[in-house]
Amino acid sequence: MATTTVKTETFVGKRIRRREDPRLITGTATYVEDVQMPGMHYAVILRSPHAAARIRSIDTKQAVAAPGVVCVFTGKDIKGVGAVPCGIAMPDLRVPPHTILATDRVYFVGHPIAVVVARDRYLARDAADLIEVDYQVLPAVADPEKALAKVVKQRIVSQRLVPMAMETRGVVAEWHGADRQLNLYTSTQIPHLVRTLVAGMLGLEENRMRVIAPEVGGGFGSKLNVYAEEALTGYVSMKIQKPVKWIESRRENFTCTIHGRGHVDFYEIAAKRDGTILGIKLKLIQDVGAYHQLLTPLIPQLSVLMMPGLYNTQNIRADIVGVFTNCVPTDAYRGAGRPEATHGIERMVDMLAAELQMDPAEIRLKNFVTKDKFPYPTATGLVYDSGDYATPLKKALDLVGYHKLRQEQADARKQSKYMGIGISTYGEICAIGPSPATPAGGWESATVKIEPSGKVTIMTGACPHGQGEETTFAQIAADELGVGLDDILVLRGDTAVVQYGIGTFGSRATAVGGSALYYALQDLKAKIKKFGAMLLESEDVTLTGGKVICNKTGNSKSLQEIAGATYRALKLPPNTEPGLMATRFWEPPNFTFPFGAHIVVTDIDGETGQIKIRRYVAVDDCGNILNPLIVDGQVHGGVAQGLGQALWEQAVYDDNGQLITGELMDYAVPRSHMMPWIESHHTCTPSPVNPLGVKGVGEAGTIGCSPAVVNSVVDALSPLGVRHIDMPLTPEKIWKLLATKN
Amino acid sequence: MIAQKFEYTAPKSLDEALHLLASGAKPIAGGMSLIPMMKLRLAAPEHLVDLRALKDLSYIREAGGQLHIGATASHYDVESSALLRQKCPLLTETAAAIGDVQVRNMGTIGGSVAHADPAADYPAALQALEAKFVLQGAKSERVVGATDFFVDAFTTALEPGEILREVIVPIDDARTGTSYQKMAQPASGFAIVGVAARVRQNAGKISFARLGITGLSNRAYRASASEKALEGKSSTPADIQSAAALVAQGIDANSDLHASADYRRHLAVVHASRALKTALSRIA
Amino acid sequence: MKISGSYVLPIAPERAYQILQDPAILAQAMPGCESLEKIGPDEYGMKMKVLLAALSGQFEGRVRITDQSPPSSFRLIVEGSGRIGFLKGEGLLRLSPAATIRVLSAAPSEAPSTVVSYEGDAQVGGTMAAVGQRLIDGTAKMMIKKFFDKLASLASLPASP
Repeated sequence: MATTTVKTETFVGKRIRRREDPRLITGTATYVEDVQMPGMHYAVILRSPHAAARIRSIDTKQAVAAPGVVCVFTGKDIKGVGAVPCGIAMPDLRVPPHTILATDRVYFVGHPIAVVVARDRYLARDAADLIEVDYQVLPAVADPEKALAKVVKQRIVSQRLVPMAMETRGVVAEWHGADRQLNLYTSTQIPHLVRTLVAGMLGLEENRMRVIAPEVGGGFGSKLNVYAEEALTGYVSMKIQKPVKWIESRRENFTCTIHGRGHVDFYEIAAKRDGTILGIKLKLIQDVGAYHQLLTPLIPQLSVLMMPGLYNTQNIRADIVGVFTNCVPTDAYRGAGRPEATHGIERMVDMLAAELQMDPAEIRLKNFVTKDKFPYPTATGLVYDSGDYATPLKKALDLVGYHKLRQEQADARKQSKYMGIGISTYGEICAIGPSPATPAGGWESATVKIEPSGKVTIMTGACPHGQGEETTFAQIAADELGVGLDDILVLRGDTAVVQYGIGTFGSRATAVGGSALYYALQDLKAKIKKFGAMLLESEDVTLTGGKVICNKTGNSKSLQEIAGATYRALKLPPNTEPGLMATRFWEPPNFTFPFGAHIVVTDIDGETGQIKIRRYVAVDDCGNILNPLIVDGQVHGGVAQGLGQALWEQAVYDDNGQLITGELMDYAVPRSHMMPWIESHHTCTPSPVNPLGVKGVGEAGTIGCSPAVVNSVVDALSPLGVRHIDMPLTPEKIWKLLATKN
Repeated sequence: MIAQKFEYTAPKSLDEALHLLASGAKPIAGGMSLIPMMKLRLAAPEHLVDLRALKDLSYIREAGGQLHIGATASHYDVESSALLRQKCPLLTETAAAIGDVQVRNMGTIGGSVAHADPAADYPAALQALEAKFVLQGAKSERVVGATDFFVDAFTTALEPGEILREVIVPIDDARTGTSYQKMAQPASGFAIVGVAARVRQNAGKISFARLGITGLSNRAYRASASEKALEGKSSTPADIQSAAALVAQGIDANSDLHASADYRRHLAVVHASRALKTALSRIA
Repeated sequence: MKISGSYVLPIAPERAYQILQDPAILAQAMPGCESLEKIGPDEYGMKMKVLLAALSGQFEGRVRITDQSPPSSFRLIVEGSGRIGFLKGEGLLRLSPAATIRVLSAAPSEAPSTVVSYEGDAQVGGTMAAVGQRLIDGTAKMMIKKFFDKLASLASLPASP
């Protein structure tokens, strides 16, 4: 028997640099704004400066007559366009009709009123200033609690946040009347769903529309939606028979793209004297905003599903009250319901520990669902796939030097210094998700083609926009096929190129889309082996290192030779078709449930209230890790946004519904110089529900972070009797507590 | 974010710039405040004259026992100047605390000072340094001291048609220590409160003290009561504390989303005390 | 935003009350006011141009005077809107005779004077609201001070025939 050693470099599990980065960091990527076409026209949208008003009249005469203007449409001019969709169906859910332009009423600052189209974007913008709108201003409601009574154990606020993708939204619509074809370039996380829904809104056959998501400069959930402007730009292009571009300004991004969070929660937690948690009760007030966007009503439900956290209790009760306000709608923002829930639960567990004079680490260890209980059914109807919750907490405690820190804290307190140690142990629902549990199908698709030259092309139905799947998917395929990363191309984001897919959100692209890819690769491998066996005239063959090798003779055929043969098709194996291509639509049997422990050590300046993060230790368990570099990047980005919520960010509306943090001058997005060093570590509990054993990590940082920070600061101030502080923890809030309690 | 139509001129000389100003053009010297306002159409100048084009105005030099800083020296130029680091470290420390790297590369000392944002960093240091401002008109020039230069929010002693040409600061001897202490607003980087301290010691006693405060009210000012309280004192913690406590005396403090008037007043006291302590510790 | 404060005018309350409602004087004293015309009883149409730092904007609006109780108090309501946003201010002005003040001059003399105290609410909306957070308070104070300074200088002129 001949022996052949094939040295094969493998890629999965290695810190491979992202293949998408060179174009991103050299400024050569193509975003919607970079799409140029002959005859391009530009749309500018006039928006309401009032939060609530009746429109008495709109006078567009001067705007229509302005230089370069081709047309102006108001709500009354738009005919035959469907409403902006809400994708969630629930009994008794009130869904106000959401037209793409306002007609007689406006409900939030930024509500679109008219669209001006001109040959030049400057002329369009100038003309928008010439439209006269006569408003009758009406009283606005900006505070969701105003209409409601309250009963309190602890009121915990998850403030409204602006998702703040670096690239604002934008749309280019290109209508080819003769072919009855609409091409829509849009900065989205879900091109296929946009195609289905926007085609429906415009009354266009779905197959006559092509949606392209070019490079997407961040979404964080804000582009997991279908927006009025997508239909409006398409509508205008169809009307004027010209390509039309609309690019959202940063100001519009603040006022008109969905916000996240917006919770006021009332929690109660019950426990035995020994710290055993008996049950958790929640009344959740969700600030809906003026309308339901695509998933608005789903987000608070995700909070409720996540309510048990990592704790072994079967007694959960939650009531959700959605309140319409004269503000921009809320919807999914990184974590989408889970950060809010985790924040509430992890704050309550700390309060319980304080009440019972227990150590916050000890009370958690006591209540965790233990390793032997998986799969673990929760009171909220989920089945946790796998878990080992004590291990990351113990690891984080070791890494941070917990017992020594507690000693140091005791000494610091003697000198009236404020030092805090905050723990958060979070769980999350990822790999969204089994189709029966999702509004639009939760599977994902993948196609793998091996070209006649042996090069590999992957088409994923997911729509990565910063998550790095151009690299991780290539790693998976390279290892399965035994080829190099440079032999592989990953395509995404074009409905004319990629089979139907669901998209990228809910930490799903790798767990669900990667699994679809894995199975498509298995189909291809079987076919490659068949052809290889035929060409080598042996049944006993192995596919390895990009070759099919005859185990007896050691003779081999390269992937390139085999691919060529499948297309040349001079001879075919029995019952086998020519060509090398496979498509899979993979339905996940369950969600995945990543988890972890974050510990934050803070020092507080007793004079100014300023918080300094001394240590940030994150131990995340996201199952198998395909690329540690990318996983660290996701944790860092998630923690940055979690710190943003904990310390700096807040979308503040005044009583009249004016967004007063409506520019980057007043809305504090974390920047690199504000970040602490993040000590990112992992434990590994593979998921049993997908072939890769992965769980997802895109949202973990955001979910684990905010309660760890707040727990740390409350811990620092606990000698003063401080029990809870709502986010963001501004220095002034802390100073006031120090001043009044001291 | 699309500005209204405007004309733009990069002047070849200060005379040309003054001539354009006389005909109604608005000066721009970095645009870190003006451009965002123009993009939002909150400002719509018809004609911009770009003073940064005047390359010979970006000098930093020593002459006649003083330091002369041309109006278009960028914050980075100031921050990285070896001359200033050695002879006026308060200014380099303050420049390094402005905004972020991008702002420091584009913004200029003349632009910032002439704009007179009530939360800008430079004015605190320039008050403490008793800086002099050379204002160039079409026909003549005049020199105005810091206390007279900063009038109110966005209001300076500059008359229409005048350009701030140069900032002059003194060179202190080795018995002088300085420090700039600031709490930054996390979104904009502007000072919620910033305090610049400049103190001199003679035989263990404070012989001279200057404190410039920004961010607290509509204009950067000198905290004279604190200064007087320090002179002749031996700089014990109690001396510093009681002088710092006077820093916001009689000041109508501003309040906004980021900090209430009370908190700003408190921060002014805390930062004055820290700036004084640091300045004293830096005396050679 | 809450606004409040007080100012001393170097004239008697009766005269102060009168000039505070005199459209010709108000038009001169209100910063940026370009015109003020009577459009109804105690109601005036107003055009103003706000110039603040780089910010500039034209506003059109109304000034109303209500709850008149001469010479001690009245309510002033100012509303305006323009391309860059809208503003609304409402305040109760109280006038009371001040303790006599010393007028700085070679020969100290006593003159009648009035303390005008105001308390009210100011609102800003539209694009202005989004960018001006850290400036609104200071700006309002500055505008009010400019208004009273100008008013004081106008009041010391002889009353027009």
